[in-house]
Amino acid sequence: MESASLPVSRPRSDSPPLGSLLGFNVVSATLLAILAYYFGHKIGAVIGHHTVWNTSSDQDDDAVLIGMGFAILGWIAGLGFFNYPIGRIFGRPVALHEGNEGGAWRYLRLCTDHKVVALQYLVATLFFFFIAGLNAMFIRAELTSVHGTLFPAGNYLTLVGLHGTMMLMMMSAGVIGPLGNYLVPILIGTRRMAFPRIESLTMWLTVLAGFVLLSATLLGGFPTGWTGYAPLADEARSGIDAYLVSFGLIGISLVLVGLNIIVTVMTQRAPGMTWNRLPIVVWGFVTTSILAVLSAPVLAAALVMTISDRTIDSTLFVSSSGGSPLLWDELFWFFGHPEVYILALPGFGIVLEILPVFARKPLWGYKLAISGLFGVALMSFMVWQHHLFMSGINANLRPFYMFSTELISIPTGFIFLNGMGTMWRAKIRFTVPMLFCMAFFFNFLFGGLSGVFLSDVPADTLLHGSFFVMAHFHYTIMGGLVFALLGGIYYWLPKMTGLKLNEALAKAHFWTMFIFFNLTFFPLFVAGMLGMPRRVSSYNAALHNLNVFVSAMAFFLGLSMLLFLWNLVYSLVFKREPAEQNPWDSKGLEWQLPSPVPAYNFERIPTITSDPYGYGEPGAVPVADFGGVPAGASA
Amino acid sequence: MRGRLLGVIASFGLLVGVVVVYFIFILEEAPPGVAASVHGTTAQLTLQTDASYGHAPYPDWVTYEARDPSGHWQHSTILKIPAGTRYVHVTVYEYDTATGLRNPFFAYVRGTVGGVIQLNGRPMNYVDAASPAHTFTAPDLGLNVPLPGIDSSAKNQCAAAPCRTSEAHNTISFTFKTPKPGNYRFQCIVPCALGFLYGFGGPMQTIGYMDGMIEVA
Ligand code: HEM
Ligand SMILES: [Cu+2]
Repeated sequence: MESASLPVSRPRSDSPPLGSLLGFNVVSATLLAILAYYFGHKIGAVIGHHTVWNTSSDQDDDAVLIGMGFAILGWIAGLGFFNYPIGRIFGRPVALHEGNEGGAWRYLRLCTDHKVVALQYLVATLFFFFIAGLNAMFIRAELTSVHGTLFPAGNYLTLVGLHGTMMLMMMSAGVIGPLGNYLVPILIGTRRMAFPRIESLTMWLTVLAGFVLLSATLLGGFPTGWTGYAPLADEARSGIDAYLVSFGLIGISLVLVGLNIIVTVMTQRAPGMTWNRLPIVVWGFVTTSILAVLSAPVLAAALVMTISDRTIDSTLFVSSSGGSPLLWDELFWFFGHPEVYILALPGFGIVLEILPVFARKPLWGYKLAISGLFGVALMSFMVWQHHLFMSGINANLRPFYMFSTELISIPTGFIFLNGMGTMWRAKIRFTVPMLFCMAFFFNFLFGGLSGVFLSDVPADTLLHGSFFVMAHFHYTIMGGLVFALLGGIYYWLPKMTGLKLNEALAKAHFWTMFIFFNLTFFPLFVAGMLGMPRRVSSYNAALHNLNVFVSAMAFFLGLSMLLFLWNLVYSLVFKREPAEQNPWDSKGLEWQLPSPVPAYNFERIPTITSDPYGYGEPGAVPVADFGGVPAGASA
Repeated sequence: MRGRLLGVIASFGLLVGVVVVYFIFILEEAPPGVAASVHGTTAQLTLQTDASYGHAPYPDWVTYEARDPSGHWQHSTILKIPAGTRYVHVTVYEYDTATGLRNPFFAYVRGTVGGVIQLNGRPMNYVDAASPAHTFTAPDLGLNVPLPGIDSSAKNQCAAAPCRTSEAHNTISFTFKTPKPGNYRFQCIVPCALGFLYGFGGPMQTIGYMDGMIEVA
């Protein structure tokens, strides 16, 4: 059955016609951005001659920042984001879709198919994720000697800053970007996101942000790590401008992603998709979006304040002129703490979505899980001062923030209860996604428990700024979110690409990653308790053997990630074995569609009849009624 | 299939190679190490501190320079000392004007042989806290040497590095025991970074300017 009325035309050819090189795509966007940068830099250099800071310190921040502003506009224009609005001004008709034709070429352009955007997101964030991982390898290489000898001391800081900032930027975009954009429309039974053009914009802003951050290496690096503290950020060299602009881009992108997902879920749900049939992973994305929309603007404001300190001498963070460096800390962590839950909540959603499939039991405590997600989201705005226990805050505030931080482990505990309840007495199928989800609980337990230690003010007095903190957040972010993300990728990638991943390689990847992750980071709790400080390239000689061991394990961890990469390349480029429609035997709506899902998702918008968790329940009905048309019949 | 496999592996290898080389190249970038000249069991370091480096495209900041064994001035603060020596003798030609210390503690000489320095030939164990232009301070060695600035009304002030001894300067010399092999950070403690917040940005954070390493090997 050929469906002529569908709004999207099918991909025509697989190889991009050479002529398209000149059109609106990533190539012309790159060229335009670079040209615009030089143009803006020239303008900025002229303006910079008149500001005190730039002339007296021999800095060129005005030039760099105005250059970057121009580059952003050039990038967006080169990708063609202004074509539609300008066309509309001149009376061009409304178009529902843009850039969805042209086979593989779609992936290098503005495209409004949410499944294309999701794959773009996946490739882009994985790319930057591997660069940040490479930086981690350099960090560990430096720490194999007591007096870091590989890189000069100042460059070690840049390395740590690049690694941390890149990881956090890409991870905030790296789950909700690919999996959120892919799953939300399909799981709620619609054909697209509410704002498809904005969806594409968020993806391309993320790519730009990654490259802008890397440009810090050309501008003298930056000394602040991922936290950008004042007054260090005020006095640092121009490399910090790259940090400020790239983090700002991610902030904007996060707000837009969040709004898009919230609006989509609120307005585009298929008939019958009541709130209590909404899959838990969608709830994960919704709560994440709420956090993003409420917290990222505060980050953006703080970044703009630092930029104004560095260009027009506004001294907002300079205490000798009436400003306050503590103000940065407050603003940053008011964003920063919700940010760590922006990382965690989608992970919670993913594991709770996957567990029932392989436990062959309904999700235990669906409503408890939702209240857990909302509890964490809400409370994450009430704990941020636990990052500032040692920063000279009013001592009377400490007990409150200690208490609120310990309270947040209760809604987090709900998620654990859901997980354990679902697996309780289940006949578990130990597939690769399932293994990753179970490892998530194991690792996150260590991360969470060490967090309770750190929330305790007397303990934090000793552990603050040490490798204990470092081990703690790697256990939550890498052990938690990255494991959940990989579980999600192994689970959904066959649906997204229509191709199978190699099982043996995947198993090898899981076990090596799980073992070497723990061997890398567990000893670092000990290093921290013995007083090893963060962000310093030299340490006490007594810790040498421990660090050599950790570095060796970290290199194996790095190799394990290469297994994953090799699996992607081998399975998706060479083997190209078609995936079955529903290899996991899942009740989820997405698995009732063909692999890969056709461009328009649903032949006819389905009517949702049940939540997708009715495993082993005798009277369970299918999730959706496809209106007599077998799902994807024409594909 | 074979060809495609090789193609992908080759281009992937190339990509990784480029990224690795890029990072190593950028992040290893450091001023050249300058070796001390050795006389018997003493290593001789000869340094100067200048108000302005003064050569584009590098920032025009205050800076140290170090003299290599062939007598050329190098823009570097990475100082290499042979582990076999017993003493390090340092001579600093100071061409900058005074900024003054924020913490008078650093006006006292610490960690040198005899607890003294020679300021223009006169032994001193402390200086006026308002007089230093810079300090030569290595916390891990317990070493602190204040470097008094020249008179701000002096006639023939030096404009750009390297300065010549015909220009206004103070000569400070001192000796310390060669520490055991390792890398030791040294840092100027005077907030001398003109134009930066609190005088602490730019050159104060940059190796090759006011921040450096003593490498004993
Ligand atoms: C191969 C795995 C990894 C290794 C071996 C590793 C290693 C390290 C080390 C040694 C540091 C501390 C350096 C220092 O403070 O002196 C660090 C910092 C950090 N890492 Fe990782 N890391 C890995 C993966 C990740 C992942 C997956 C994330 C997040 C998604 C992450 C986020 C961070 C952050 C935010 C910092 C703090 C940077 C700062 O102090 O500003 N890391 N990492
Ligand atoms: Cu100085």
